[in-house]
Amino acid sequence: MLRITPRCVTRLNFNKTFASQSSISGFKTINQGSKYSQNFKQYLCMPNGDAGSFFHDVPLGLTPEDATVNMVVEIPRWSNAKFEISKELKLNPITQDTKKGKLRFVNNIFPFKGYMHNYGAIPQTWEDPTTEEFQGTGLKGDNDPLDCCEIGSAVLNIGEIKRVKILGSLGLIDDGELDWKVIAIDINDPLAGELQNLTDVEKHMPTLLHHTREWFRNYKVPQGKPRNEFAFNEEYLDVAKTLSVIQKCNKSWEKLLSGKDLKTFDSLPTTQRSSKNIRISTTSEIDSPLPSETKIWHYV
Amino acid sequence: MVYTTRQIGAKNTLDYKVFIEEDGKPISAFHDIPLYADKENNIFNMIVEIPRWTNAKLEINKEQTLNPIVQDTKKGKLRFVRNCFPHHGYIHNYGALPQTWEDPNEAHPETKAVGDDDPIDVLEIGEAIAYTGEVKQVKALGVMALLDEGETDWKVIAIDVRDPLAPKMNDIEDVEKYFPGLLKATNEWFRIYKIPDGKPENQFAFSGEAKNKKYTLDIIKETHESWKKLIEGKSVDDKGISLASTTLKDVPTFSASVAESIPAAAAQDDAPIDKSIDKWFFISGSA
Repeated sequence: MLRITPRCVTRLNFNKTFASQSSISGFKTINQGSKYSQNFKQYLCMPNGDAGSFFHDVPLGLTPEDATVNMVVEIPRWSNAKFEISKELKLNPITQDTKKGKLRFVNNIFPFKGYMHNYGAIPQTWEDPTTEEFQGTGLKGDNDPLDCCEIGSAVLNIGEIKRVKILGSLGLIDDGELDWKVIAIDINDPLAGELQNLTDVEKHMPTLLHHTREWFRNYKVPQGKPRNEFAFNEEYLDVAKTLSVIQKCNKSWEKLLSGKDLKTFDSLPTTQRSSKNIRISTTSEIDSPLPSETKIWHYV
Repeated sequence: MVYTTRQIGAKNTLDYKVFIEEDGKPISAFHDIPLYADKENNIFNMIVEIPRWTNAKLEINKEQTLNPIVQDTKKGKLRFVRNCFPHHGYIHNYGALPQTWEDPNEAHPETKAVGDDDPIDVLEIGEAIAYTGEVKQVKALGVMALLDEGETDWKVIAIDVRDPLAPKMNDIEDVEKYFPGLLKATNEWFRIYKIPDGKPENQFAFSGEAKNKKYTLDIIKETHESWKKLIEGKSVDDKGISLASTTLKDVPTFSASVAESIPAAAAQDDAPIDKSIDKWFFISGSA
């Protein structure tokens, strides 16, 4: 197997497939394995050429004044494969989630095809599974970075890092855990200037917020799971409250990294960060075929 | 009958063509495939033009010899339907019934509008994603009368006989029972799909209701009769449609040798689709 440091990958401008340009200041990605297979991994390549972690090394970049933050794209709109930042693997590459050893694909819930947003995570945040996340909800966090639904018109790519404007959030209760979905738009989207809050979203994208809630309510029903519920009477939180959710989850992430005051929990994320001594091999392969389950519609 | 396809050029380009073949010889998708696959049981042949969830407006070309499927153009540019929220591309496998014609010379007594000069359109609702040039056997379940820019444009609702649900699907009410929300979505989709191009909302005759199976079978028969007149050279105006046929020995435009003028297969990899086609349009008052 070819083994090469990411630094070399960048310097040699090795191959676009292996180190493709991302949209924020020099971050790139390094692909391993075949997409839609268990061996697929996409690593972050830092602007200085070192390998890094999508979870810990992409800055949060929160600017409360204009409500912008960084987002790591995991799943392009209209696709089905459940890609996510790995909590277990060193340097947290993006991999496809598995359930009982099988690759996970979301079902197509009529009238939608795959995910209805560009879906991803806000780096340097963590929904703490060891403590009650928000007073009164009685719910603990889901042990993941905060999820983010980007609603702009472009279909984004796995591993892209985008600067997004925060518009609100929805408190999904997924399998009994609190799992925030931050609603945001790429600051470079043609509509971004028109959208400051959820009222603006409803005005320019009528029914999107309604459909978003219904999608998250129903998306696991074809798997035999019950409908999901939502905290806060199913209402979206506004920008100010969403900013405080992000800040709180950033504090939880700092606690995770420091290792101080952490209650015992049996599957805490790995916290290793970028360094010069990690070697990442680059072994990109052609995509594996998509399973037939991604090609049918479910009427829920 | 086993049909195959002969592709020339790359999808999403002006060169792309798909001919239907019978025993490896090109035939006309419009004229040479029998309408009825099983007349007694009302099973029809359907030619798939557009696979579900895609945007390229592929259709049986009326002017070219043997009527290959090509991508429609508008002012020389390839035509793609725009995504109207919450939909992504076409929401059915879209295609046509061979040996039918919506006669533009005659107004339909109920819709009061002339035909749109095309074979009758079919919306196949089965779970599988079809491919361009696929010849499916389908059960007709209902029909909606779209009034598209002033012309009658029937949309037959049908299901592939091989679909797991097909045995349970026998008339229009079964669509709502097993595909809840699909008829409403279909109605909305066709009303709004041209709004992003600056066109007005389309209307449906019959208040948007889908007619039942019996009515549908009659409409298909009418369009089949119109086609017969067309292919026999008895139409008031054939609108320049290429009537060449390589299998219908009794029609004036029969010519087995025309198949030899069709280029050999020369498929190329799909061309990329412009990123602007990814945009989702939000139409007020819909969804």
